[in-house]
Amino acid sequence: MTETSEIALKREQQLELYYYLRLNRSLEEQLARLFRQNQVVGGLFLSLGQEAISVGTAYALGPGDWIAPMIRNIGALLVRGYKPRDILTQYMARYTSPTQGKDTTSHFGDLHVRHVVSPISMLGDLIPVMVGVAMGARYLGQRNVAMTWIGDGGTSTGAFHEGLNLAAAQKAPFVLVVENNQWAYSTPVARQVPLVDLADRARAYGIASSVVDGNDVLAVYHAAKEAVEHARRGDGPFLIEAKTMRMSGHAQHDAAEYVPKEMLELWKARDPLTRFEQHLTGGGLWDARTKKALDARVEREIAEDLAFAESSPFPQPEVAEQGIYCEGCHEIAPVWQRPTEELLPPKSGVRAEWAAFAGKPAAGGNGALPGRRESAPKRKSAGRAARTKPRPKAGR
Amino acid sequence: MAVEVIMPQMGESIFEGTVTKWLKKPGDKIERDEPLFEISTDKVDAEIPSPAAGVLKEIKVTEGQTVPIQTVVAVIDAAGTPAAGVSPAAAAPPAPGRAKTETPATPPAKAEAKPAASPAPAPAAPRPSAPPAAAPAAARGDGQRIHSSPLVRRLAKENSIDLATLTGTGAGGRISKKDILAAIAGGGAGAARAAAPPAGAQTGGPLENAVPRERIYFGSYQVQPMTTMRQKIAEHMVVSKRVSPHVYSIEEADMTRIALLRGRVKDEFEKRNEVKLTFMPFFLRACVQALRAFPTVNASADGANVVLHPEINIGIAVALDWGLIVPVVKNADEKNFLGLQRAINDLAERARTKKLKPEEVQESTFSVTNPGTYGGLMGLPVINQPNVAILGVGAIQKRPVVIDDAIAIRSMVYLTLSYDHRVVDGAIAHQFMGKVKASLEDWSEEVL
Amino acid sequence: MAEVTYLEAIRQALDEEMARDPSVVLIGEDIGVYGGAFKATEGLLARYGWERVIDTPISETAIIGAAVGMSYLGLRPVAEMQFMDFIACCFNQITNIAAKSHYRWGAPAPIVVRGPSGGGVHGGPFHSANPEMYFVHTPGLKVVCPATAHDAKGLLKSAIRDNNPVLFFEHKFLYRRAKEELPAGEYSVPIGRAAVRREGRDLTIVSYAAMMHPSLDAAGELAKEGIECEVIDLRTLLPLDRETILASVRKTNKLLVVHEDTRTGGIAGEIAAVVCEEAFGDLDGPIVRVTSPDTPVPYSPPLEEHYLPNAAGIAEAARRLAHY
Repeated sequence: MTETSEIALKREQQLELYYYLRLNRSLEEQLARLFRQNQVVGGLFLSLGQEAISVGTAYALGPGDWIAPMIRNIGALLVRGYKPRDILTQYMARYTSPTQGKDTTSHFGDLHVRHVVSPISMLGDLIPVMVGVAMGARYLGQRNVAMTWIGDGGTSTGAFHEGLNLAAAQKAPFVLVVENNQWAYSTPVARQVPLVDLADRARAYGIASSVVDGNDVLAVYHAAKEAVEHARRGDGPFLIEAKTMRMSGHAQHDAAEYVPKEMLELWKARDPLTRFEQHLTGGGLWDARTKKALDARVEREIAEDLAFAESSPFPQPEVAEQGIYCEGCHEIAPVWQRPTEELLPPKSGVRAEWAAFAGKPAAGGNGALPGRRESAPKRKSAGRAARTKPRPKAGR
Repeated sequence: MAVEVIMPQMGESIFEGTVTKWLKKPGDKIERDEPLFEISTDKVDAEIPSPAAGVLKEIKVTEGQTVPIQTVVAVIDAAGTPAAGVSPAAAAPPAPGRAKTETPATPPAKAEAKPAASPAPAPAAPRPSAPPAAAPAAARGDGQRIHSSPLVRRLAKENSIDLATLTGTGAGGRISKKDILAAIAGGGAGAARAAAPPAGAQTGGPLENAVPRERIYFGSYQVQPMTTMRQKIAEHMVVSKRVSPHVYSIEEADMTRIALLRGRVKDEFEKRNEVKLTFMPFFLRACVQALRAFPTVNASADGANVVLHPEINIGIAVALDWGLIVPVVKNADEKNFLGLQRAINDLAERARTKKLKPEEVQESTFSVTNPGTYGGLMGLPVINQPNVAILGVGAIQKRPVVIDDAIAIRSMVYLTLSYDHRVVDGAIAHQFMGKVKASLEDWSEEVL
Repeated sequence: MAEVTYLEAIRQALDEEMARDPSVVLIGEDIGVYGGAFKATEGLLARYGWERVIDTPISETAIIGAAVGMSYLGLRPVAEMQFMDFIACCFNQITNIAAKSHYRWGAPAPIVVRGPSGGGVHGGPFHSANPEMYFVHTPGLKVVCPATAHDAKGLLKSAIRDNNPVLFFEHKFLYRRAKEELPAGEYSVPIGRAAVRREGRDLTIVSYAAMMHPSLDAAGELAKEGIECEVIDLRTLLPLDRETILASVRKTNKLLVVHEDTRTGGIAGEIAAVVCEEAFGDLDGPIVRVTSPDTPVPYSPPLEEHYLPNAAGIAEAARRLAHY
């Protein structure tokens, strides 16, 4: 495990990273048990082996930044302040869930405090939404960045393309983390994408990108930090490809027999939690007692939240017909961080000329202009680990 | 130019008519106002004059057919003059304005004018050149479906109206909103009673049989369908007997004085007034006096209400070759003897020649019939609804009677009063008859 | 005061709302420099600037997605579909993201999706559609279809101020043909409320958008024949103003529904079901529909003329129903 020359995380922060990794892993193991006990109502989708991506990327965000987690980004939700009970009640369909039982998995969000946007089941569609979030934040004068994740399979969708293209055209402060876990349900990456590195797609949009070892939480963190800062300072969207492996089936109902055993063995040796534990131990950042305390804390929190979830009621039938429309139940008020006079006449006026398209930035605004691109920025690669190991080949 | 001849409305609550006779055939010349055809309705039969001069081009409704009012029954090729009788667009829809070219590729769902659901025939019918043929007053008694609508059924239920008693004027003869509202208005608001026919609307209930059909049709029988008038009479009689409990009061009056008077002045009267002198005005006069004294005999019943009529309108039954009709002498109490005689003769004459107006057969408060005309000693007539009494006058005959313990030969007449015991009790009825008798026997009025 | 066209009324609504509230932004194809394919947004870029009038790539999915994302920040984006036919390209974003957002996780998505729909302009199958019913079928959305310049302006303002995603179907046939004097000063028209355009006792005609005008013409014709039609303009398809329709049917007892949308799955079927359920005992005749046939909108003028309902056809159907 290596750290780059960027500013290293303090010990407390690294322990915090471990806490989240461990919380993510243990929570999902608990969910797997609950599933077998018939307590999970629908399907269960685990991110086993991919926790470092969710945790590492989310940890690099500022408090006002926005995320839209996919189903395998529970770790990100935990980093943003959601508790195990929120995820447990979602899967267990209880009234105390963030959606009152109306939806499952990570399909929930919080517009005001945690800045989390709920995903939907169709893949790729959150990308245009998060691009809009980024554009909106910028419009309001905020310095916030929007981040979402997509699997290798999801990069084939039209929404991925339209969203990323718009992000690039708008130079939106948007970060997309492509989790290449080698498998889209039962289809290996090689059969979906004519590329070895999905990050190569970034060049088509003229945006910056990097490739990172998705199982190295610190590498992931630093890659994300770089991407977020790139976006925040107005340099446009950033695509991170995190290489990893999906260690369980697409969902609990999927035994994933199509995955070669050798591949699983190979990636098991790279388990992100094990690796990080080794890093902490080897770097003298903790001792057995600290680890035990952290593990115990995780266990206790999950146990408490499980008790809460198990004793939570199911929703009453009337709930099914509530909340279709918002008729005054929410106050919709943007948080302005710039003077609104800039956006009203006469300050907002502009002469619409072709000259604007020649690359001259307009007065005012903060980099919102569509302008000519310089040639595509170089793709960076964070973490040497991404390059030194041979890539596993599917199906051998 | 083509002039349409339409089925006229013979009375406020008449919604259909039957063409009984065409007086001209296609190709015949016709003058303006010349009688063109005859109709029968439940109130009056009438002769209809032509609305234009010209040539009768086409007959659209044949003899015996019953159609809703305003239906075009014929077309006249008029001689250039702007004709009356442009039918309000009730039955004959104008040609569609759209230049619609039917191509084979036209999708079958091009049903712009088709109703979404069509329980009854008419709206989906091909563009009718004839009016939507209304079913003849439906013979409901034999289980035929009554076409109406949800609204009509609901209103009928709410107002306790039996739909089988109504004739529909809607498309295909269905009972429409107009029909049910008219029935409700005519029959009084929401009275929870059996469908007593309101003045002006249909009079009858369904014509039932007392025995199964097999018992009627045997041997070499011959079926004669009832005319509309016959049906109406039949229905009226059934309902009147069913609704009004009939009780009878019989009296005998000595007509000798009147008979002698009449014998004496008849020729002079007829020469002077150019009107025949009969016995009827004497009876009417007597009735007027009695009705003044006993106003409940001049009333009607509406559920739990007795409806008193200040007017005294006396209906006089007139026998016709083809049936029976009861024209009304309005305000009989305001007429003098001559006026009464004139009115009686005029009404009877016009009844026989089918020249009565609809209002002349409506709004009676009391009726008189004359079974004696044809020799009957007395009759027990059926009350003419919505009256509560009817006087039957028998034949005037010389009979031996006892006067002061001696036998005398006098001209006597039997008078019978059928009365509705819901409103009139025996005491009143007998007193009423006593008054009539007294008026007749003590006649003192000069008639000349 | 001069008469204002339906199109200009829309532009005025956008202009006035943008002036009133800096959180209103426009997003779509060719809306900025070009002023919109139909010039609905003409002059707005010059007035409000690049940040508020956003020209996008040809990406309906991204346009709607970005609009939803911006609305999560509390902004009120108005997204334009250059032709409402193209809304099919972003069906998922509208029905699965925008429509379900508040229901699932309490996040209102106050976007407006507006654009020209309808035929009568020789646009052919992909520029003449009436796609509104796909969205009337989607809970969580509101669907608005104005028929007059007055309502176009008033309803667009209401749509922008509404906290829910509103699809605003402008009928392109009316863009320059419908015009009237507008009230000076601020006004809006409530969403979800139908308007009685003409009172009558004999028959109710319900319609919306471009078909309002031939419906009123037909009613005028029938009045000469003594048939008084009550004519109702739905204005909003979702939520449907059932009460106005039912009150009218209870009065006249006969109902005719007219729409340019295809027959099967058009709102006439929904209205017929509602009236049968709620006012069956008030019907004195079958519920009749006058609609386009179940085909795409054809191109050649005689074909399109056959396809579209017109005043004579409406009058004919109404006449038959009146005489039923």
